[in-house]
Amino acid sequence: MAGSDASSASRRFRRSVDALGEIFEFIEGFFAGAPVSPDCLHDVCFVVEELFMNQVKYAAGNPNSLLLELRRSDGRLAVSLTDFDADPFDVRSVPDPRIDLPIEERRPGGLGIYLSKKLVDGIDYEYVDRRSTTTFTKALR
Amino acid sequence: MLDIRRGENGEIVLSGRFDASQAEQAERFLEAATGQVVLDFKDLQYISSLGLGTLVKTQKRLQAVGGGIRLVNVSPHIRDILQFSGLHFLFPIDAPPPK
Repeated sequence: MAGSDASSASRRFRRSVDALGEIFEFIEGFFAGAPVSPDCLHDVCFVVEELFMNQVKYAAGNPNSLLLELRRSDGRLAVSLTDFDADPFDVRSVPDPRIDLPIEERRPGGLGIYLSKKLVDGIDYEYVDRRSTTTFTKALR
Repeated sequence: MLDIRRGENGEIVLSGRFDASQAEQAERFLEAATGQVVLDFKDLQYISSLGLGTLVKTQKRLQAVGGGIRLVNVSPHIRDILQFSGLHFLFPIDAPPPK
C-alpha cells in the first residue's frame, strides 16, 4: 500500500499511538531528498500527529488503518489523512479554546486542533461514502 | 523517542521528541517532581499537544502547593508553540542566551 516518487508518497498506518514513530519516519523520509527547515518539518509532524491521534482517540473501535498522503509541488505541501468507514469529523468546526485562562481554569487537551490551524496555511475537509479526509496545505521553507 | 532524566544540577532534562506515545512516560517522571522545577529543553526537538497538556497538568499541581516549573533553553519553534497556545503566560521561560 506504500508508493512514492519525487513529489508524492502515501502509506497506510494502523490506528495506534504506537504507529507515531513510523509516521514521523515516513514524513522525514519524504523530505530526505529535498530537506526543509527543522521548524517546518516539526510543524508538519505536529499537525499530522494531531489529526492522526484524534482518530486513534475518538474512533478507537474502527478496525481500519488510516491513509496518509503527502504531495509536494511548487514549494507547497499538501497532506491528507483519510479514515475509512468513519463518522464525519470536520476539524474546521471545532471551536477555538480560551487561551487566556489562568492556570487554575486550564484543562489538559483542547489545544491541538487550535495550534494545528495556526501552523498551516489552509485546511480542507471532505466526507464522501463514509471516507473522512482532512487535507492541510503549507508553504515549505 | 523521548529521554527524560535529572541533570547534574537537579534540573529535568528532556531530549528528543515529546509526542503522544511518550506522554505516559513523561507524566510518570514528572509526577515525582516537587517544589521549584527547572525543565531544560536544550535537546528537545518537538513537543505535541499531549506533551503540552502534561506540562500544564504538572504546573497546576506544583503551583497549588507553592512550587512551579521554569523552562530553560527553549528553541524558537517550541517558543512559538507556547506563545500560540498562550502557555507563555503560565510558564516562566528563560530568555535565550545572547548571540
